[in-house]
Amino acid sequence: MTRVKIVRMILIVVAAFVIFGPLSSLVIWSVAEKWFWPNVLPQEVGLFYWGKVFQGRMVQALEVGVLIAVVVTALSLVMTVPLGYVLARFNVPFKALILLIFMLPQAFPQLPVFANATVYLYRANMGGKVSGVILIHMVGALVYAVWTMTAVFKSIPVSLEEAAINLGASRLRTFWDVSLRLALPGIVASALLIFLYSLDEFTGTLLVGSPFVLTLPVFMYNASQGYELPVASITALLLMVPGVVLLLVLERYLKAEYLSSFGRI
Amino acid sequence: MKRLREWGWVLVAVPSLAVVVALFFVPFVRSAITSFQDEAGAFTLDNYATAYRLYAGDVVYTIFVSGVSLLMVLIIAVLVSGFIRIYGGKWVEFLFKIPLFVPFVVVGHAMRVFLAPHGLLNSTLAQIGLVNLDNPPSIAFTWVGISVALAWKNMALATLLILGAFESVGNTYLEAARNFGAGWFRQVKDVLLPMSLTSIAVAAVLIFTSMLASFSIPMMIGTGKGAQMLMIDVYYRIVYQQDYGVANALGVVSYITAMGAAIYYLRSVTKRG
Repeated sequence: MTRVKIVRMILIVVAAFVIFGPLSSLVIWSVAEKWFWPNVLPQEVGLFYWGKVFQGRMVQALEVGVLIAVVVTALSLVMTVPLGYVLARFNVPFKALILLIFMLPQAFPQLPVFANATVYLYRANMGGKVSGVILIHMVGALVYAVWTMTAVFKSIPVSLEEAAINLGASRLRTFWDVSLRLALPGIVASALLIFLYSLDEFTGTLLVGSPFVLTLPVFMYNASQGYELPVASITALLLMVPGVVLLLVLERYLKAEYLSSFGRI
Repeated sequence: MKRLREWGWVLVAVPSLAVVVALFFVPFVRSAITSFQDEAGAFTLDNYATAYRLYAGDVVYTIFVSGVSLLMVLIIAVLVSGFIRIYGGKWVEFLFKIPLFVPFVVVGHAMRVFLAPHGLLNSTLAQIGLVNLDNPPSIAFTWVGISVALAWKNMALATLLILGAFESVGNTYLEAARNFGAGWFRQVKDVLLPMSLTSIAVAAVLIFTSMLASFSIPMMIGTGKGAQMLMIDVYYRIVYQQDYGVANALGVVSYITAMGAAIYYLRSVTKRG
């Protein structure tokens, strides 16, 4: 049994190195005020760039990104909570076709499609605007939300709803008082993941929004391409905060079925 | 009456369907159609000829880079999941979940500074004498950098899916194998792996498509010259040359590559019901 413990220890150390190695270079770069090779560590260390980042356009990008993510999350929930329930419970006509359409964006590369969607959005006068970015985020968010909401409602036993109906509750009241209440933890978990998705979305934002709508991932990309490595690294660290918080706080609630499609978008 | 109510349920789907159809399905079809059109709108195969002439190598390169990453990811995930399934390992599992919550762009940037010629990895290795910093190997701006970054990001998803599959294998099977003297590796190879082959195939397809379609990671750590990942070609073709014809032809090539994978995925999903 001790051999297993040793192997497990080695596994933890190796995994920690592999996972934290790349991330730790972000931390070092974020405080590097002067760093020329061949020095292994920065010659001068300080928080100069942190102050600079928080006074610059980063804050604006953060605000725009959060605004977009809030709208996207709210719209996705309003549209997919009822839909998830319907798909989980009833024999909807063309159900297979509906599910197929919601599977397409997961199965095909997004960039070529979004590039063509951008043409339409510009024609509709929404290119380079927040409204266009919200719409393009909605595609990924809706697909993700429909699948998780359906899974959430499927996991609630039908017998509880039947009990409510037998006691004289209407369908609507049963949905409101029984199904929705029981689904709440799942809905909250997937809402947070939708929020995170929108906050981190890069491809669609770059195509539709650039150069007028700037969110944190695009801001970070610009900084990194411009070799402003400290600025890019600080932004990268900030971008990781919501995800890390979510992982630490909600680890127990994040079931594999919510995460499996999340990891791809 | 019942019919009417069923159609009422379809109404609930209309808003979501409208968004996905208008911004995914229609542009998807448009990209396929315009790939066969010249600038005047007449039918032509020129776009494909140009795409073949300029980018055939990049298609092979993309499949190669994705394939290598996928192989890395699968081997690591199967071994790690096998270990966790048999001996337990909450911490290992937790660590392997982290990349799922790190955005793609951040992975790209982090790997870029980590694997750069004078990045943290080479500096660390130089401390123990494995790397000569006067002539450091560059991983970041080669295909290896893209492969490593893609593997890093997808390791989490692979472990999640494969561990899930392993966990649904009953304990009795493992006990039976142990009774016959099977060690750790034999239990993974002869019990866990064959019993979760479908799930692993689905995971492999999902991850392969995602790697093939990866854009932000190769944007961050890709090379400026030489072979490119397919999505970078599509992007540059549109942004710098406004050439939607060739870009869409490349897009169609990427759909077809992904479709081979998707058909398999759809079949196994519908089979599970």
